[in-house]
Amino acid sequence: MDRRFFLQLAAAPMLAGFEEIPSYKVVSHYPAAKNSEMPGPYRGIVARVHSKSVIHHERVDQASVDKMLSAGIKTLTGAKAEKEAWASFFSPSDVVGIKVNCSGAPRICASPEVVGGIVRNLLSVGVQPANIYIYERFLDQLTSVRYKRFVPEGVQIVAIETPRASLLGYDPKTYVDVSFFGEDDTRSNLARLVTERFTKIINVPNAKEHQAAGVTGCLKNLAYGDFSNVARSHMREQTNTLSFIGTLAAVEPLRSKCVLNIMDGIRAVWHGGPFSENKKYRFHPKTMMVGTDPVAIDRLLLDLIEEKRKAEGAPSLWDRSMDKIDRRAHLDFHKNTFIREPGHIEYAATNFGLGEYDRNRIKVTAVEV
Amino acid sequence: MLAALLLPSLLTAGTEPPAGAVKLNEPRVQYRADEASATRSPWIDANGWRMARDAGKTFVYHVKGEAAALAAAESFTYGAGALISADAPGAEAFGRMLQFLKTVPEVDLTPVADFGVVDDGSALDGELLNLLTRMNLLYKIEKNADRSFQVNVRLGTKEYPKEDARNPSVLAHKIRAQIGDENRSLRIYGSEVVVGRLLSGPDQARVFLLNYSGRPVLGLRVRVRGAYSKGELHAAGLADARVADWNQDGPATEFTVPELRAFAVIDLGR
Repeated sequence: MDRRFFLQLAAAPMLAGFEEIPSYKVVSHYPAAKNSEMPGPYRGIVARVHSKSVIHHERVDQASVDKMLSAGIKTLTGAKAEKEAWASFFSPSDVVGIKVNCSGAPRICASPEVVGGIVRNLLSVGVQPANIYIYERFLDQLTSVRYKRFVPEGVQIVAIETPRASLLGYDPKTYVDVSFFGEDDTRSNLARLVTERFTKIINVPNAKEHQAAGVTGCLKNLAYGDFSNVARSHMREQTNTLSFIGTLAAVEPLRSKCVLNIMDGIRAVWHGGPFSENKKYRFHPKTMMVGTDPVAIDRLLLDLIEEKRKAEGAPSLWDRSMDKIDRRAHLDFHKNTFIREPGHIEYAATNFGLGEYDRNRIKVTAVEV
Repeated sequence: MLAALLLPSLLTAGTEPPAGAVKLNEPRVQYRADEASATRSPWIDANGWRMARDAGKTFVYHVKGEAAALAAAESFTYGAGALISADAPGAEAFGRMLQFLKTVPEVDLTPVADFGVVDDGSALDGELLNLLTRMNLLYKIEKNADRSFQVNVRLGTKEYPKEDARNPSVLAHKIRAQIGDENRSLRIYGSEVVVGRLLSGPDQARVFLLNYSGRPVLGLRVRVRGAYSKGELHAAGLADARVADWNQDGPATEFTVPELRAFAVIDLGR
């Protein structure tokens, strides 16, 4: 008998307050790692760092980024020195995946300046360049960002699906099986890089509105960025993003290997996400959020995007009225393409314990650099 | 009924097919991006249902280019005698596929079905059979219901009213639900453009995989009910191809076909 866990999630009975949830079957033979699985050691704690000088006319200032990263990691951990803070997460023997977000690239993405800064910190604690992977699902999106210019020789920049739609980069034995609308391909498989190669993951999402999920932050970047066959969850106005995102993010070993979240909120998108074709829906919060708790960061992201939408006169992320739904009007901020599901964050907290959702119990330490 | 392995023939230019030959569509995928669809699944023009319905007849394809190779593989898969009329590039493609088909070992196996369909020969039944084939729901065409199956579909009965069959997709999904995905003898993951067929015997099984897209499918995952310990991959256009990520667990066996071009055959052994 091997250590195969078949987790049958007959989810519906446990979900008071949520709409009908599909029946998920999670197949993984990876056990949770002790003390490292999300939300990690800093549940409900977020270091929010702001810098007025970090971006000017779309040009990101590397020195400001480095200060923000340093302040964020030290504030989160309480360490006095930057190296000490990073060493509390990573050791020289680690193989580290940096999960960037390039779905809106090159317009908005995990900034190469931020990713470059993360890589330098990993190197400083002894992680080998060849054991650092900057990764994303699709090669065309990944290579539209010039990460290579910002990292030393030897750091790996790899896509999971090469070419697009290939399943070879996914682990056939680690997957979530669910039928949303009668599709025959009911599996979403976890990337082999995650199951077979990485020992740790740093999640680097952006601060973006998402037309199906409400926002796309830590949870969604992990979930939809590490599994195959996920777009099927939002084929219709009423999507399955509410339950799918948390279900995927909680699958082992993804849950245990993601030890740090650094939300790049230097730029942000308040409408038209995740692809952000229209510049007028982008803005500059000039912020980074650092933590081990993806739910807490995403909870703050909800406020950030909701407040901006309110200021711009756009419907609330929570607006579910069908009269605003227009599948062909995704760049009209008065309309919604889908019924958004910002509740996916609370769902992930409630049903999988992925973090702290209650705003009153989230401790935010704001830092200005 | 044992499945015969029949090799298709090229219809010589200027020669008419025999009277009574059943004309088949060009096997292919039609991507209908401009049409609203519940699934956005591409439309597959597959002929397996017609060869199953008219077993024993002669079939004829009129095709061009690489479609001739797929036509040859399709008729081979269903054990049907087929004549293929093709242009010069098609004749070349046919020749290559024929060479490959000749390398596939003879076996003495029976088609696997998970349910029965009582076929009255109507267009309505035909449309249902067509969709069931494309959805990889393995059926046996019957004259009368076979009680060895838990599910027998006869249009016009209380359980399967003809009105329901006017939307064959809804009906096909109803049948799928009645069987249960876990109980299906063959599942294919990673592509919506691959159609499979399964044969089995006491110690052996054979999976046929037809890729209608004209593009390679990478990393196709196959699940077959039954415990098998080994699999030999015969992949058209790929020498020395092997199945990967073998997993025999519980009631089913799974494996990956790393690359599927137009056609592959996998022989499974206990």
